[in-house]
Amino acid sequence: MRTALFALLLTFAATPALADTTYGEGIHGQDTVPISTILANPDAWVGKTVRVQGRITDVCQKRGCWVAIASDQEFQTLRFKVQDGVIVFTPDVKGRTGIFEGTLARYELTREQAVERARHHAEEQGKEFDPATVTGPEVYYQLEGTGAVVQD
Amino acid sequence: MGDSSRRRRIPWRRWNNILHRDLGYLAVGMTLVYAISGLAVNHTDDWNPSFRFVREEQHFDPLPVTDRQAMARALVEVLDLPGPPKDSFRSSPHQIQLFYDGWTVEADVQAGVAIVERPRERFILRDLNRLHLNHPRGLWTWVADLYAVVLCMLAVTGMFVLKGRKGLTGRGKWLVGAGVLVPVVAVAVVRGCG
Repeated sequence: MRTALFALLLTFAATPALADTTYGEGIHGQDTVPISTILANPDAWVGKTVRVQGRITDVCQKRGCWVAIASDQEFQTLRFKVQDGVIVFTPDVKGRTGIFEGTLARYELTREQAVERARHHAEEQGKEFDPATVTGPEVYYQLEGTGAVVQD
Repeated sequence: MGDSSRRRRIPWRRWNNILHRDLGYLAVGMTLVYAISGLAVNHTDDWNPSFRFVREEQHFDPLPVTDRQAMARALVEVLDLPGPPKDSFRSSPHQIQLFYDGWTVEADVQAGVAIVERPRERFILRDLNRLHLNHPRGLWTWVADLYAVVLCMLAVTGMFVLKGRKGLTGRGKWLVGAGVLVPVVAVAVVRGCG
């Protein structure tokens, strides 16, 4: 019995640390598109499966169900949203780089919906929220993610 | 005739109870893992069950809004950070993030406010959650599958531990019925809402 338990522990302990962490379905062989190219004309990319690369600037702090990816241009990020529980990003991925694959989606929100979304986002991130920061209806785009590889 | 038929009877309840008892002992560790982690991950709307966030707010005299590298260098100096960051990013001209290994700094140089954020693993809980959510995969999938089979056996053998008024034919049938009704009603409600 003791030998069996020891062998079981050894199996887990001997599992090699991977250099990269694969999430979901991982990524497949297609070209990476700069985020700035997508955001320059996002409607042209809606519904298409794309692969992007960048540094993670933010991560959902409660469920790990999205990350924000820095664009190749300043002041731009793209949210990579995954199905709750299917892929879970841990908070320590913030600041790491990765490759992300998914389908670009477009959402139109009324001001009320935009306020609610911003409030929810602030709550998730443990930040204060001022409804006055949301000035009107909003259109946003996000990558509905199927897989990613994050470098350690 | 009566004596020989009594001798041939298989003492199935005795074996059932032995099985129930020993599987119960075996399942204690795993049940605690799944139960404790279950409580934790059920409430992800309210908290992160695996990590806590240590945030430290710092104030400094506003800095000029220049280019990213210059702003990062200035912040390292005023906040007395341990060397240059791995990378940095500006989400707006006056807001900058500095990325270090395992922690980040988010600053508004115009407002002169910076938040140093360090995620910290919750003691034990993170490991329990990893097992519960089958993050190790591989061999652990087999262990978890085996535990699921053991749970099924515990449920079935548990119904036949006692006979008589306190057994399945007595109040047991009502309690089993009530227990089965919980998921049945839940499914009906969820489908109705869906």
